[in-house]
Amino acid sequence: MKVIATYNIKGGVGKTSTTVNLAYLAAKNGYQTLVWDLDPQGASSYYFRVKPKVKGGSKALIAGKRELDGLIKGTDFDYLDLLPADFSFRNLDLVLDARKKPTQRLQKLLKPLADEYDYVFLDCPPNISLLSEAVFEAADILLSPIIPTTLSLRTLEQLKRFIKENKLKNLELISFFSMADQRKKMHKEIIASLGKQHADLLDIVIPYASDIEKMGIKRMPLGAYTQKGRSVEAYQALWQAILQRI
Amino acid sequence: MTKIALSFELPANLNAEKFIAKLAKKTPCELVQQHYAQKSFYDSFDWRLYDANLTCEFNQSKDATLLVLKRTSTADIIASTVIDKAPIFAKDLPISPLSDKLLNLLEMRALLPLTTLELQIYKLNIFNEDQKTIARLLIEDYTNFGCRLAIQPIKGYDKAATNLHQLLVKHLSLIVIRKPILLAVLKSQGRKPKDYSSKLNLQLKPTMPANKGIRIIYKTLLNTIKINEQGTIDAIDSEFLHDFRVSIRRTRSGLSQFKAIFSNNINTHYSQYFAWLGSITSLSRDLDVYLLNIDDYKASLPKSMREDLNPLIIFLQTKKIIAQKKLAKKLTSKKYLQTLGQWEDYLKQPPTENTSLTLKQLADTRIWTVYQRILKEGSVITQQTPAQALHDLRKTCKKLRYLMEFFQSLYPTSKIKILIKSLKNLQAVLGDFQDYEVQENALRKFSEEMMHLQSVSTPTFLAMGVLVQKLDEKRCQARHHFAKCFIEFKTPSNQAIFKSLFAMQTRETK
Ligand SMILES: Nc1ncnc2c1ncn2[C@@H]1O[C@H](COP(=O)(O)OP(=O)(O)OP(=O)(O)O)[C@@H](O)[C@H]1O
Ligand SMILES: [Mg+2]
Repeated sequence: MKVIATYNIKGGVGKTSTTVNLAYLAAKNGYQTLVWDLDPQGASSYYFRVKPKVKGGSKALIAGKRELDGLIKGTDFDYLDLLPADFSFRNLDLVLDARKKPTQRLQKLLKPLADEYDYVFLDCPPNISLLSEAVFEAADILLSPIIPTTLSLRTLEQLKRFIKENKLKNLELISFFSMADQRKKMHKEIIASLGKQHADLLDIVIPYASDIEKMGIKRMPLGAYTQKGRSVEAYQALWQAILQRI
Repeated sequence: MTKIALSFELPANLNAEKFIAKLAKKTPCELVQQHYAQKSFYDSFDWRLYDANLTCEFNQSKDATLLVLKRTSTADIIASTVIDKAPIFAKDLPISPLSDKLLNLLEMRALLPLTTLELQIYKLNIFNEDQKTIARLLIEDYTNFGCRLAIQPIKGYDKAATNLHQLLVKHLSLIVIRKPILLAVLKSQGRKPKDYSSKLNLQLKPTMPANKGIRIIYKTLLNTIKINEQGTIDAIDSEFLHDFRVSIRRTRSGLSQFKAIFSNNINTHYSQYFAWLGSITSLSRDLDVYLLNIDDYKASLPKSMREDLNPLIIFLQTKKIIAQKKLAKKLTSKKYLQTLGQWEDYLKQPPTENTSLTLKQLADTRIWTVYQRILKEGSVITQQTPAQALHDLRKTCKKLRYLMEFFQSLYPTSKIKILIKSLKNLQAVLGDFQDYEVQENALRKFSEEMMHLQSVSTPTFLAMGVLVQKLDEKRCQARHHFAKCFIEFKTPSNQAIFKSLFAMQTRETK
């Protein structure tokens, strides 16, 4: 089982879209796949039409009162399951803080699922917190979408420093450009100049596109309503590149 | 969640389309697929899947072919895999939970088609107010066997499945399936499951005249020979020949054990015939055994040497093809067919022998005599006794085993089972001892033959050498083991059972 966390300190950079679309592609390849929606906003739960509700909320979840397996919902797609969000996840930090070894908590909860799933995607809320530290411990890959702006690049540097300082040796950082707008001069320039400098920056760009935006109306992964086009190809290339790294 | 039934039958007055229309009025649903398909059922010749409450289906439609394993009684799906052709052997399947399960049960037996049905398939999604699918329905509308329906629950939506179950049973008057479709289909063909088993299951009466009883035994054995004949000729899998040979050996054993009943002429004539049948089938069987053992052989070698045995496999397979051709020719020959036909006719004729012996008396005497012989032969064996003595004892044990299996139904089941089991253990160690020796010698012989082949190189001979050594170690272990097994066989409690079942009566009749 490989755990892939989509994470960025910044909000609205395409984390959830990435999670939903990559998980869909993994399942399509026949891998048993789970999406864990850790964001109280419940965006990925929404895309899969699963009610953002967890029995007992964050407290029961973190306490491990129920096995995670009992909270999982099958999506409309073969091999693809979802562990939904709950509004109480807004207190996840407090709940975690009340425990011993809070940062090891997610890893521990995921362990019993190791035989059942090939890939687990963690859809994380933005910002850096105790939860994100727990995510870093649990994940094998930290997948970070970045919008091609100078500010975004700075946050990526911050993240790298954090990983280094906290000696998260088993965590591999992979980033890629997300929501890149070909009409914006700055986007083009940054992609052109930075693409080759960073080993952890994939040579793949997810374009800013209306078919991706439509996921919100369709309430399903991109691949479930379009089979062709630049966006579909970009996500496929991204998934292949990640598989290569693993 | 309490387990709910997932498979249903539509009542006769309801067809698939009408049902879907009715369902749509009760719950939000959508027909997502409808297509023609063919469903073929598979099992081994000896019904290993059916015995394990499993049904193997191969489903073919325009856009997908799927091998599915279901629990027969409930029709629940246990495992499935996408594959373009039904496999002949489980080991030919790509590794998956399905192949594990099949391999475990079928071992070396081939999967054979039982029957093929035509049907129309409908797939429906049941959804909630968010248009989220919360359960699926699969409808199978068979051309001649009615219409069946299965709920396919979705993880985490147990309640939806339960509600759907209620809806189907209470409001749409569906019937929970009690009988698997396979049974209905077989019945329509005049067949029954488990119409073949390699085990003897004779129901005999103690008081029947012995000459009548042994005719029943011979007829049953003859029947098994005939049932396995075609599969042996076609070499569908190794077990046709195996069962064929076991019946021959049992018949031969009968002819020598029941000498007193038929005339000398008959006994000699057919003993010779069945001895001949045994001999013409033995090479093919030996090669089967080596080929079946190959995985074990490999496993006994160091990892680095295992693949070096591959040329041996090819050598054996080539030999087997030649032996099989010869065998097939012999089994279609006049000599084989004519004499077997005569034997059949002879058994059909009403008994003319003059005997007052009942079957039970015959059974008691024979079993008791052979048992005494085992005790005698076994007790003189020490570590120093030549191997031949153990081989002879093995043969005697086999005779006793056949006798007890023939006459099982004449004795209390629980007691005879205990005796057969303890005999089995003794036979196992004697069998090992001899088999390892035979295999060692065969490997030596094969390596000599393989010397002349250009394609075989030193590492192969080296691997075969190591294998001979491993077999020799195992042979020595078996020999060591013998003393303990023999003591276990002749425990006072076993002796007492033997005596109580077979000895008293013998004395009375004398
Ligand atoms: N490549 C894209 N092209 C156009 N719109 C996009 C693209 N990716 C995401 N969006 C839209 O941008 C918004 C934010 O995307 P998304 O929810 O994936 O980001 P996020 O990083 O998960 O946000 P948050 O931090 O709120 O969880 C959504 O409305 C989504 O539809
Ligand atoms: Mg999000």
